[in-house]
Amino acid sequence: MFKIGAVLLTVVALLFGVIAADRPLPRASFTFINKGDITTLDPQTASWMQDLRASRLLFEGLVRNDVFTWDYTPSPAAASSWTISADGREYTFTIRPDALWSNGQPLLPSHIAFGWMRALLPETGSDYIKQFHLIAGADEFTTWRTKAANQFAADVATGSIPASDRAARARQLWLDTKSRFRSTVAIVANDESRTLTVRLVRPTPHFLDLCAFPQFAPVYPPLIEHFLTVDAATAQVRVDPSWTRPETIVSNGAFTLKRWAFKREMRLERSDTYWNLAHVALQSISIPTIEDPNSAVLACRAGSVDWLSDVDAPYRSEMLAQKAAFYTEHAAQVQDLRAQGLDEIEIDRRLPADPRNRIISSPAFGTYFYNFNCRPTLPGGRANPFADKRVRKAFSLTIDREAIVSQVRRSGEPAARTLIPPGSIGGYQSPAGLDMNAAQARELLAQAGYPGGKGLPTIEMLFNTEGGHDLIARVVARNWREALGVEVILNQKEIKTLRDDLRSGNFMIARGSWFGDYGDPTTFLNLYREGDGNNDTHFASAEFEKLMTQADEAPDRATRLALHSRAEAMLMEDECPALPVFGYLNFYMFDPHRFTGISAHPRSEQQMFRIDVFGDGIGSDAVQMLPPRVPQNVLTESAGAGQ
Amino acid sequence: MNPILRLCISRLVQLPLIVGVIYTLTLILAWAVPGDPLEGPEARRPPAEVRQQMRAQYNLDSFGSFYRSYLASASGWNWLDARVGITQQGQERSQEWSRQDDAARTNGLPVPERRVFDLGPSLQYRDRRVNEIIAESLPVSMTLGLLSIVLATVIGVGAGVIGAVKPGSALDALTLGLSLIGISLPTFVIGTVLLLTFSVWWPILPVGEWGTLRALILPSLTLSLGFAAYIARLTRLGMVQEIQSDYVRTARAKGLSERDVVLKHALKNAFLPVLSYLGPATALAMTGSFVVERVFRVPGLGQHFVNAVQNKDLFLIIGVVLVYSTMLILFNLVVDVLYRWVDPRIA
Repeated sequence: MFKIGAVLLTVVALLFGVIAADRPLPRASFTFINKGDITTLDPQTASWMQDLRASRLLFEGLVRNDVFTWDYTPSPAAASSWTISADGREYTFTIRPDALWSNGQPLLPSHIAFGWMRALLPETGSDYIKQFHLIAGADEFTTWRTKAANQFAADVATGSIPASDRAARARQLWLDTKSRFRSTVAIVANDESRTLTVRLVRPTPHFLDLCAFPQFAPVYPPLIEHFLTVDAATAQVRVDPSWTRPETIVSNGAFTLKRWAFKREMRLERSDTYWNLAHVALQSISIPTIEDPNSAVLACRAGSVDWLSDVDAPYRSEMLAQKAAFYTEHAAQVQDLRAQGLDEIEIDRRLPADPRNRIISSPAFGTYFYNFNCRPTLPGGRANPFADKRVRKAFSLTIDREAIVSQVRRSGEPAARTLIPPGSIGGYQSPAGLDMNAAQARELLAQAGYPGGKGLPTIEMLFNTEGGHDLIARVVARNWREALGVEVILNQKEIKTLRDDLRSGNFMIARGSWFGDYGDPTTFLNLYREGDGNNDTHFASAEFEKLMTQADEAPDRATRLALHSRAEAMLMEDECPALPVFGYLNFYMFDPHRFTGISAHPRSEQQMFRIDVFGDGIGSDAVQMLPPRVPQNVLTESAGAGQ
Repeated sequence: MNPILRLCISRLVQLPLIVGVIYTLTLILAWAVPGDPLEGPEARRPPAEVRQQMRAQYNLDSFGSFYRSYLASASGWNWLDARVGITQQGQERSQEWSRQDDAARTNGLPVPERRVFDLGPSLQYRDRRVNEIIAESLPVSMTLGLLSIVLATVIGVGAGVIGAVKPGSALDALTLGLSLIGISLPTFVIGTVLLLTFSVWWPILPVGEWGTLRALILPSLTLSLGFAAYIARLTRLGMVQEIQSDYVRTARAKGLSERDVVLKHALKNAFLPVLSYLGPATALAMTGSFVVERVFRVPGLGQHFVNAVQNKDLFLIIGVVLVYSTMLILFNLVVDVLYRWVDPRIA
């Protein structure tokens, strides 16, 4: 018995050792729950919403959008000023002299250029490489680099590069690549005069908007070079991602990384070297990992979390109903505040504090839709009825969006008739889209050779298992059965398998969703361009391509947006490769009486350095909100939890 | 030769063979999972040239090349090769390393870590190596698993002894009934009930701030109940037999107190089957805590077991399986050694 006791005691002692070594940090001045786990802090490879958000905390690009303006006005960030040439193709940025890295070194124009070069290397794996190809010579650079690396790998394999020499030759190729970048890509970084000049392929009115995107942020070149190795067999450049650890990372944003405990917590602190330190009203930020949506709401309710960036609990619609009841109690005041054109957050802040008044919904920059397969045939050589645009339009004319948003979603989302959420891009006029019209739909179907749905094969709808997509699909299938007399079956698949099917074209109608990245219609419309990697439908139309090309060549932004509007009208009202269902909303949970700085803009970017907790002694406590808008606007009409 | 030493050596020789077979089988299965491991569920698709270079970077082009390259890095061969310079590749790597070392010295930067058993990068958590993920979450799972086994032993043996002392009594029926419930109820039910009771209705324990002793109580209790129930049944069965045996009658006849008879004599022998169960049970508690981790927000390794497969994060799947299987083998070895130490009759 003594021996067993000894073993047990040892185990218990070990346990206490482990627990004692593991102490949580004190509470941060602001705690929020990100949409998912942060996967990377490297701005050039970030692509998920939560990663982009983290990148924005740590890194600062040349400009930043003012999230409290409707058109997201580009405002100075790392660059104090810029000029645009008369032809709209050349941008010259001046980097502010007090822009510093967290290690105290000055931020130089060549650091910006280095980050952009990284994004252009195919092995970096940037999902946004196409955006960088707007820079003159950038596309050629990527192509050259890809070819050179492939050639190198082939030469190593065949032995024409001797084995003893390949490491040196691979390293040489990396040096050649850097000089090739300087000679072919139209970026001139002058560290003496602190200017960065960029020449674009064509005038791009949203280029400044892109410069505000995390992928365009700088990284500290000495650090990256230090963690970089050149693979001798492929000449690929590989950066050990451990440079993003708190001990090593060098960043230039408003916050620095203090702790990153995997799946537990990320801790950030105000950066002492940030040029705009005086305007950062938060001392520290904590981002705990809470994956369970219910626990997240509980934590927010209990007050241990200040802002929940995505309310996804199963009882969300009940929370919204309670808020609607709260609005009804204050109906007169709500109506008055709405009439003033205030944004959703400001309305809630002016209403009395109430536990029901913590969930806030506002339009997001994303749309839920169905994609029609536009390929001439389906896999296995089966005929594809949706290759005919009349069939696509007939199906588009017969779905009851209102029933879906009011009976299935029950969260106040606006029914969507366009791909681009109306009001999300300043100056862009959304087309009307299609309404329900069963008679016209039947006529179109008859014209296509399927009178009363006869002759059509069984229609398959494809969607992924999680997320309640089956409920929506059931309503849509019923609409089609009733209006068109077609046979519809529902096909659920696990998301990875679904993505495989989408790529190989093994579907008829598939559920899709898209969130825009930057303030230009192409962020959505490119999805239906020929050859685009994300064009699952394989939709191709010469007319559409022509409009898009014309828009690219347009002399000014207004003309460009007008052409894009025509292009979207063509997609939504005539060609119908996609069938929009509803516009996404952001569901935030926080008490607007506690702090300000969260923007209700549909593009949903949040700049955490603008967060200002009322009465904590830091910051001016001045309320930040979007400027009032006339309430007739589609945006404010369709939003709001109370509807 | 010392039998315990002989046992250790033969098991340790078998270890790499068994792990190798597990590696091969796991990779075959993981490779067959549909989906592109480099693609997120809703993410953008980069252009073809980027995808091609990424595939090459992770050796995802063919099963054979992935199998070989992963084996070389996970088995420690790559590290050894670079240290000793056996092959061309090893010499090249060694040159890169010394270049980085020099740069680190000149620039005052840390030297990137070189791992002996490099389990590769995570495809999902791109900033993390699988080694780091395991290093951060394995201690959590081990703490939770060990603590629940300790609890299970204390609860189970206690209940078993109480039941066995008076077989057929009301107390015996109660402990038997409770242990039946413990075996039958799934952990997510027990966990949710405990969470609701002690964190929501009667909030005396936190919902999940890993790192404090208080936060450990509910998850380890939840995890322990199933094991405790089984241990209680094992103990009771053993005790009922032992109490009827001759040496217990002798002990009683000698005039020993009933407490000494039960605890010092009968339990010592009745505990042996429990001990042999504890080996696999400990391994199971450390590896099978996925549900408990999810319910109580415990940042352990169990979640990666499930999530990695869903994300087709090849490196993480294999890394976790390799670590778990190595652990399982080692734990069985430890238990066998302990068994011989406690009861030297077993050879």
